[in-house]
Amino acid sequence: MSKRIRFVSLVLALVLALSVCSFSVADGYDKVVFSYATFNNIPTNDVRVSIEEAINAITREKIGVEVELMPVSIWEYSSAVSRGLQGGDQIDVFQTLGDFNVAVSTDMAEDITDMIDTCAPETKEIIGQDWLNACSFKGRIFGIPTMKPIALTPMVVYRKDIADEIGLDFSNVNTPADLTELLRKVKEAHPEMTPVAAVNAGNIGLQLTVPNTDYLSDDYYTPKGVIMNDELTVIDFYATDAFKDVCSLARSWYLEDLVMKDAATTASTAAELMATGNYFCYIASYSYPEEDTAASISAQAGGYPLGAKIIGSAFLDTTAINALTWCVSTTSKVKESALKFLNLTFSDKEIINLLIYGLEGRDYVKKEDGTVNYPEGQDAATVPYTAQLSCGTMGNFFLMYPMEGTNPASLDWELEQNKTAKTSAAMGFTFDNSRVKSQYTAVANVISQYLPGLVCGSVDPEADIPEFLEALNDAGLPDIIAAKLEQLDAWAAANK
Amino acid sequence: MTARAVKKKKSSTAQTLPLMLIALPGLIYLLINNYLPMFGVFLAFKDYSYARGIFGSKWNGLDNFEFLFRTKDAWIMTRNTILYNAAFIILGTVFAIFVAILIHEMGKKRRVKFYQASLMLPNLLSWVVVGFIVYAFLNADNGFINKTVYKALGWEPVSWYSKKEPWPFILTFVYLWKFVGTNSIIYVAGIAGMDREIFEAAQLDGASKVKQILHITVPMLKPTIITLTLMAVGRIFYSDFGLFYQVPANSGRLFAVTQTIDTYVYRGLMESNDVGMSAAAALYQSVVGFILVIGANALVRKIDKENALF
Repeated sequence: MSKRIRFVSLVLALVLALSVCSFSVADGYDKVVFSYATFNNIPTNDVRVSIEEAINAITREKIGVEVELMPVSIWEYSSAVSRGLQGGDQIDVFQTLGDFNVAVSTDMAEDITDMIDTCAPETKEIIGQDWLNACSFKGRIFGIPTMKPIALTPMVVYRKDIADEIGLDFSNVNTPADLTELLRKVKEAHPEMTPVAAVNAGNIGLQLTVPNTDYLSDDYYTPKGVIMNDELTVIDFYATDAFKDVCSLARSWYLEDLVMKDAATTASTAAELMATGNYFCYIASYSYPEEDTAASISAQAGGYPLGAKIIGSAFLDTTAINALTWCVSTTSKVKESALKFLNLTFSDKEIINLLIYGLEGRDYVKKEDGTVNYPEGQDAATVPYTAQLSCGTMGNFFLMYPMEGTNPASLDWELEQNKTAKTSAAMGFTFDNSRVKSQYTAVANVISQYLPGLVCGSVDPEADIPEFLEALNDAGLPDIIAAKLEQLDAWAAANK
Repeated sequence: MTARAVKKKKSSTAQTLPLMLIALPGLIYLLINNYLPMFGVFLAFKDYSYARGIFGSKWNGLDNFEFLFRTKDAWIMTRNTILYNAAFIILGTVFAIFVAILIHEMGKKRRVKFYQASLMLPNLLSWVVVGFIVYAFLNADNGFINKTVYKALGWEPVSWYSKKEPWPFILTFVYLWKFVGTNSIIYVAGIAGMDREIFEAAQLDGASKVKQILHITVPMLKPTIITLTLMAVGRIFYSDFGLFYQVPANSGRLFAVTQTIDTYVYRGLMESNDVGMSAAAALYQSVVGFILVIGANALVRKIDKENALF
């Protein structure tokens, strides 16, 4: 019998211990769970608590809130948040990764219109009404976009040593088609090299160079119904001449061996391919000036000297702004406190730098010129805490300490780009796809079947585009386009 | 009820109690892991809203199922799933028994252990790794087949990841390579448990090795084969996601021969992360799987009552 009692008391003790863990209420302060995606290592519990303590020292006083951090690896972030919210876990603040419209249509994101003036006035000021409109739906605000260099400019990133050796002149290259001549020269001088590398599987960067295209809430890689050239009519992107030109150019490169043959299915990214030394260039969009882009990529791309040349123009549409949006969850019990903390990530220099770089001295050191770097002998992989690679996804980028080696003048260029980049005529419009969900899934499948081969040149556009268009029609693309047009018209009427 | 019957019943409970206790942890696990989540089946018929939760969300009838049947892919993926699985069940069983017999016939020599271990090894590799091994063979620019084999034979290199004809064979081959070793274990055990005297008697009667295999080994394995096949039939509507997604490198040109229900659902819902639609797809697979198991079992019962599962 005594054995049994001992067992029962053991179970009771365990239950007690567990309940103590889950019900520990911060004394008098609201606890806000802040979940964010990190590209860096997930910190250990002790380290995480040390950052929380440093943050809480500020937040207790400023807004009467204690914060619990929930860093999640970028690759599983969306599903982790979705599972957490379904399972009833406390997640008060989360970010969307390109799926803001889904977060709104499935009621994940709380309507913050009535709270923003009282709980986040500084942020409202910093972000500005225009950008907040991009995170609105039917006139209500559902999130706050990350404040950062947003305008993405298409560039070709190339091996400077090879270009100098052959004497290539990039100054007249302004479109992807202008590149062809230079690529031929590279192939001639270095037959062992493949001139163009893929950015990632199924993408050699060309479709992003199509100018003035608003993808209307779809991501860049799978547009379904777009508006082009400021006309408020929704069209099928794949039926346009611009798309056909992209495929034809890709096809001609493919046939001349100017682009990698396995681009449609490769498992490697551009930086990895460049690091092998077998590739000359790739095309992708960046939000930094040419020199900065080249310099920052060089280290990941095998250390070869790189150059970059802009071959398109930056374009701002709603998705560019709301791709990375911070939301308060509908299941949160402390919505106001959550928004107050979110406000600090945009307006408080100490908070955002704690989140990005961790503790000064342990995780990073500050240099005299105001830039920061990892402590002597440490790097991003070995310091206890860093979320440096998330710098473009969190709070206010312009409040973060610059990393050593970056050019302070670049920040001005970036702010300038944000302001001067061409803006879509449908800026602020967010598409609600909830009525055409099954068409969306079916169309997504058709796109993943045809698009990679077409934009990478491995299939003949003359034969495949008509087949692709027909498959899209069968899968319900016309329904999506009609739904988009209907909502766009309503939006345009309301925003006149 | 007579006193005797009551006594008998009592004693049978007393006898089975320890066995029940042994089974209890497994049953509890089954309940928690397989039965409790079944409440989630509601999701298949709901327009899920995070704010309202599972029970508060609105019903939306069969809308969540629509995407499965929207395109002509519906037919292709169903056909692929069933045909591949049927091929895997038949070939998998044939090869597994073949390998099991070979291993058994080699006796208890040390090198047999080595063969068996090497046959098992592929099963320990993840599909991602297998995908890369296949890629090393079939890669268009510098794969082994194109650069070495085809070159030596003087044949034109083939762009494997955009040519769909060979893929049913490649996928079946990869499947057999990965699973034959593991699948054979249960048959090796079955053969090892057979009474040697039957074989000796047959030998005395002048039966050759092949005759012994055909008339003794295989018939005695029949119950095992039927049980394993019935279990496999229950999963005929599920495909091995890694095999159909990783090995063909997600190549769009190959969808006609590589698209299965699981890859379709994955590709379609990657973007939207829609809870209701994934629940609908899973429910559809389970219901069809359930019907097939019942059907297959009924068939077995009709032909050979003793060997039916239930």
